[in-house]
Amino acid sequence: MGVPYIPVVGLMGTDLLKRRDDMVVAADPFDGKTLSVVARALRPDVAVFHAQKADRQGNVSCGYDAEALILAEASRRVIVTAETIVDRLTEKEATGAFIPGMHVHAVVHARFGAHPGGCTGLYGPDKAHMARYVAAAQDDAAFAEYLQVHVFDVKDHDEYVERFVPREWREPARAVGG
Amino acid sequence: MEYNESELLAVLLSREVRDGEVSACGAHSQIPAAGLLLAQALHAPNAELIILNTAFTPFRTSKPFHFLAQRGDLGLFFVSGVQIDRYGNYNLHQLGPDPDHPKVRFPGGYGGGLIYYAARRTVVFRTEHTRRSLVEKVDYISAAGATPPDVLRLGNPTKLVTPKACFSFDRQAGVLRLDTIHSPWTLADIRENTGFDLGVGGPVPVTPAPSAEELRVLRSAVREKMLIASPAYAAWARGTLVEEQSA
Repeated sequence: MGVPYIPVVGLMGTDLLKRRDDMVVAADPFDGKTLSVVARALRPDVAVFHAQKADRQGNVSCGYDAEALILAEASRRVIVTAETIVDRLTEKEATGAFIPGMHVHAVVHARFGAHPGGCTGLYGPDKAHMARYVAAAQDDAAFAEYLQVHVFDVKDHDEYVERFVPREWREPARAVGG
Repeated sequence: MEYNESELLAVLLSREVRDGEVSACGAHSQIPAAGLLLAQALHAPNAELIILNTAFTPFRTSKPFHFLAQRGDLGLFFVSGVQIDRYGNYNLHQLGPDPDHPKVRFPGGYGGGLIYYAARRTVVFRTEHTRRSLVEKVDYISAAGATPPDVLRLGNPTKLVTPKACFSFDRQAGVLRLDTIHSPWTLADIRENTGFDLGVGGPVPVTPAPSAEELRVLRSAVREKMLIASPAYAAWARGTLVEEQSA
């Protein structure tokens, strides 16, 4: 929206409000009395997120949650990784939120880019991998090891997919005799 | 008639829906979704349902739902939390005495802290009725039951429904009170399994049990609808709603 701050309904009395320094309580300027939470605008420098489909002009079709569109509008630079890149994608064809290419600076083809998370309509989260991730996240040493194995020691996305995305996901059942 | 706890909860929640209102539940909320569809099939044919992230939502994204609620147009919302306390607060964030070093971390409240203040009525439900889930005070307040004076609030929690009992939210006193107990549980059972004072003096009425008609419709027409709602809802319906044999 571009406004510096905005009132929201709710969040009063929550522990969430206590830990946010970008949310305050303020009175309605028209009646001087009625209190609500007021949140400061977030303007990320860079946003990176994954989507089902994008075209070469940066138009993006992504899932149901509108947060990706809001994020794209709010951020100064936007990088979208997409399962599939097509030549042309229109709003009519979008399956959920549609992000006009105007907001997007770079599009990257990354099949299974959401792994170990899921990508709505295409694949669910990799629960076994998630369990390993959660276990590794319990302490710094284990997490450093996780990052080394799954991020730093991996040459590129293709290698990540080859090594860590379950084979059944990558190789759909072949026809008999194929 | 026989029924499982999920079916019991779906029936009890369906009774909260009013005809002609906009009623909604969140994503991953199979029990209230079944309740909404059951209400529409039985007594609320003009209820407008929003079951987020399924075939039963008028919106393609989540934003219009939150804005509709903020405008005051959401009549009823069903929500659950890991912990619910006596004061109507619920917790979807974390467990542990130190808020900065939680023992367990959950996905968080999403729009919960907003919707709790915006929906005209919120009915909280919990599939587990134990001392660890119904507590005196939650470890972390994701959404607040009470409203300080002069604060903008459009609606409030009205009830808590569990597989053992129903509680109503007394807005004056700002506390939940035991309302009815489901057969076969007793007041002693409820006392033993609830981590807060029940606020009752005398005998407590029995919750009217699911009727044969409510169960029949739940297991036929509603079950059919859940199969097309989304893959996750279909899997739940197949596993949980006993398929009604045709007459």
